[in-house]
Amino acid sequence: MGKKRRLRKESASLGPPLTSNRSLKELMATHYLLSRYAQGAMPVAWVTSGAPVEILRPFDFYTFYPENHGALCGAQKMGPELCAEAEEHGYHQDLCSYARIDLGHYFSGKTPVGRLPKPDLLFAANNICQTVVYWYKALAEYWKIPLILFDTPYNFGEISEVDISYMVRQLEEMIPLLEQISKIRFRYKRFRKIVGIAREASLTWGEVLSTMKARPSPMTIFDAFIHLAPIVSLRGLPAALEHYQGLLAELKDRVAQGVGAIKNERWRLMWDNIAIWYKMRDFSNLFAERGMNFVTATYTNAWTETIGYLDETKPFESMAKAYSLVILNNNLDHRLQLMERLIQEFQVDGLVIHSARSCKPYSVGQYDLRRLITERLQIPTVVIEADITDSRAYSEEQAMVRLEAFFETLEG
Amino acid sequence: MNYFGGIDVGAISTEAVIIDEGDEISGYSIVETGANSTDAADEAFGKALLAAGIHRDAVSFIGATGYGRVSVPLANKTVTEISCHALGAKYLFPDIGTVIDIGGQDSKVICVGDSGKVLDFTMNDKCAAGTGRFLEVMASKLRVSLEEMGGLSLHAKAEAHISSVCTVFAESEVVSLVAKNHPKEEIIKGLSRAITNRVSGMVKAVGVYGEVTMSGGVAKNRGVVTLMEEQLGKPIRVYTEPQIVGALGAALFARRQSRAVK
Amino acid sequence: MTEFHSPSRREYLLKQREVYGRHIFGVFPAQYPRELLWTMNILPVEIWDPPLDLSYASAHLQSYICSIVRLGLEFIVKGKGDILDGFLFPHTCDSIQNLSSIVNNYLKPGKPCYFFYHPKWPYRESSHRFYIEQLRDLAAQLGDQFGALDYSRFKRYVEKGEKVTSVMRDLYSLRASGGLSASNGEFYRTIRQAEFLHPDDLIPLLEKFLEGSQGTPRSETSVILSGVLPNPSEILALLDELKIRVGDDDLLACGRRYLVPPNQTQDPFESLAERYFYMPPCTTRNSPIKERLEHLINKVEGSNAQGVIFWIVKFCEPELFDMPHLIEGLKKKGLPTLVIDVEPNQELTGQLTTRIEAFGEMIR
Repeated sequence: MGKKRRLRKESASLGPPLTSNRSLKELMATHYLLSRYAQGAMPVAWVTSGAPVEILRPFDFYTFYPENHGALCGAQKMGPELCAEAEEHGYHQDLCSYARIDLGHYFSGKTPVGRLPKPDLLFAANNICQTVVYWYKALAEYWKIPLILFDTPYNFGEISEVDISYMVRQLEEMIPLLEQISKIRFRYKRFRKIVGIAREASLTWGEVLSTMKARPSPMTIFDAFIHLAPIVSLRGLPAALEHYQGLLAELKDRVAQGVGAIKNERWRLMWDNIAIWYKMRDFSNLFAERGMNFVTATYTNAWTETIGYLDETKPFESMAKAYSLVILNNNLDHRLQLMERLIQEFQVDGLVIHSARSCKPYSVGQYDLRRLITERLQIPTVVIEADITDSRAYSEEQAMVRLEAFFETLEG
Repeated sequence: MNYFGGIDVGAISTEAVIIDEGDEISGYSIVETGANSTDAADEAFGKALLAAGIHRDAVSFIGATGYGRVSVPLANKTVTEISCHALGAKYLFPDIGTVIDIGGQDSKVICVGDSGKVLDFTMNDKCAAGTGRFLEVMASKLRVSLEEMGGLSLHAKAEAHISSVCTVFAESEVVSLVAKNHPKEEIIKGLSRAITNRVSGMVKAVGVYGEVTMSGGVAKNRGVVTLMEEQLGKPIRVYTEPQIVGALGAALFARRQSRAVK
Repeated sequence: MTEFHSPSRREYLLKQREVYGRHIFGVFPAQYPRELLWTMNILPVEIWDPPLDLSYASAHLQSYICSIVRLGLEFIVKGKGDILDGFLFPHTCDSIQNLSSIVNNYLKPGKPCYFFYHPKWPYRESSHRFYIEQLRDLAAQLGDQFGALDYSRFKRYVEKGEKVTSVMRDLYSLRASGGLSASNGEFYRTIRQAEFLHPDDLIPLLEKFLEGSQGTPRSETSVILSGVLPNPSEILALLDELKIRVGDDDLLACGRRYLVPPNQTQDPFESLAERYFYMPPCTTRNSPIKERLEHLINKVEGSNAQGVIFWIVKFCEPELFDMPHLIEGLKKKGLPTLVIDVEPNQELTGQLTTRIEAFGEMIR
């Protein structure tokens, strides 16, 4: 089992913790607890973070997100241990660490959350990367269960009608197999309602993120990374919407009272790429102590950016658009424009880019992106070479050298 | 009486072993490879002859192995060190199925079949982590000799945690620990753990069959061997002179080959 | 530098342009409708392993990106594509996907960049339809630059493509059945010319090679190669030296793309679609692992091979994910395997040589 979580002191530079943190913990704990009883009681699907889960909800699948689990393992510092299990079974160290953690769990059964439900179905979309498909393909072979892929053509240019038709047809084609596995008939009306709830939740999440435009920002991006869990893994369920409504109310309240997430917000930063899950607490403290708060991130923004396309009156077509136009499935020009917009809207003073070894679609192009942003917006940027959950790919000494130089540029 | 020779030219050291017709070891030597493989091979072979008390002409067939095997004009046959370690180790310990060789520049795990034949193997030759070089670099940082490391590791009550995947990372971690006056034995144990983790990962990938033996220079480090035994949950056999296993295997190949030729 | 990359290749391309008025496209790995390009009077030149020193690539790409992509970027940044009229990027993997955007959106090489998304397994009715629509779309886009697609010309070139794969199939069969006298080096030097020769030159070259190579092979011991591409070619030379012949291959640059079963479909669009969906299983199309394992085992049995060498380009995720299953499956059949991961164009190190030699010792 994983190491005991060491209680780290919160830095004195941080503002009061969000009360919504507690309700989030309960929400996710309940969800994971349910997982112990799900197997056998309801059809279980393992789902990728970018997949159109709304099509699964009408069939009452219990959905589990291995990427979410991977992030949890990373935060609990179990990354290296689980990755090593996969490596001992022949999976190369250069492969995505979410995948290695998941495969490591498959081989060893180790997990910090008790017991994971065995899936009846693997449901993947390659809008976030092709790696999830290679990974799920391996799982499908180990468990001998079906894999459904939502194949989202990459938007090299603009999205085309041909692409949209392809995706719409795929959604329609999935239904018979989903009915077969779940033994539940597809009800279009229920599906439309779920699409509506998902849209609401994502838009509410978008409003949550917008509160961080305030000076001082009522939340840090590290909190936001944690609060991402419901929109990723409980999207389409009423509980996710309710959670964000509560969080939004709390944040609006803070903004009204001028309560900041950090005590002395001098600098506002943006984070690019997925979090470095095992350094969340440390980085939160490190930056807060310097009066630096991360007020926006491309990662958190991803679950609200395109969900606005969702439309209950045209559920299939709107889903195709919403899922195809996510940041990682669009060309790098789109990404540059998105980042420039966020930097301007959130009044960002500096950019921290995490070059994540595991995540090629996010990381390939960052070096040019950095150069262009520095040139066009004249803000200091820094690249940290690390990984999302495999701490063996992270060198504290090397990262600190770069960060210290970044701090000097920002402050000087 | 006919004798057979085996010469193992490694990146750091060169060994030579002389066996008789009954496969008994008559003599051996270990020298530094230095800058010239051919000279090192000659030197090692010459010293082995002296140790065996025989003349050059008494040796009818010579096998060469190791990194520098192509530079041994003396040799009648060359065989890779993988096959030689397998054959040599099997000869010394007939019940083994797994050979772990941690040399100066690479480490190998070999799965050995009944007659000493290689069934499977894996090598770590891309980077220093998990090799003797790793310990050498660290030894010089800590100002201890390689020989002392084993004993110091065994005496440590606790161990420092050190990266096992990258020598450059590990080195900077050691520098930090030294700067904080962290006890030397604990750092050394941490290093032994790092190298053990790296190599035991390779072992698990190949699979443990039968009994296990370690050869190569690092097998002399009791600290590493003890930790490896812990990790694998099995006792590890180590020959009194673990560095010569490869050369012994080469000599055994030489003896076999000459029989075949006749 | 192998003769494959000799200056004569450049001469050939220039001649193609001057004498035949052909346009030259730099095409990145791996799956693309070459017959369509030929029809539009475009000669595709595949960019797998240009003989360049990597220097500029690190300014754009992290160290954990494979060298095929790094070399491709280096090629563009160093202006080696000066004689090209455009680039085509198939959607092979995440790295090539993002490379296409770095080139098209950031580097702007001053030449049109085209992109080809091919549907990934699991295949359904929609996949087939999409593939055909993608072909039509690419034809329309190219048509804007090079003139509308001529349907009967397209039919002719699909037939030529069929002829190419027919000769390839014959060559591979000959090799697998032990009737090929050419060395490993000669074999791959010859067939890799398909990466840039026009079919009118490629077909006679392959036919001549087929005729001239009938004979007893140079050795009994044979292996199957599985992976991306046979580079560095020094490894082929080493195998020749060790008297190990390659009996068959499951290489992306070679066997996986050329060993398409014959088809009789009349309509050229349907014909190309059929070729795509019935190609040998491949990670770049996300083929299921079971199919890949069956395919490998068939290759081993079909050529009486003693083992399989996985020849992987470092950091190649699609290949590395399938490998553990494949190795396990082969092990269960009692087949020894060797994994070598290489940087294209690297020098053959003593360590790599030892690994291959040791494998040779193992399988004999």
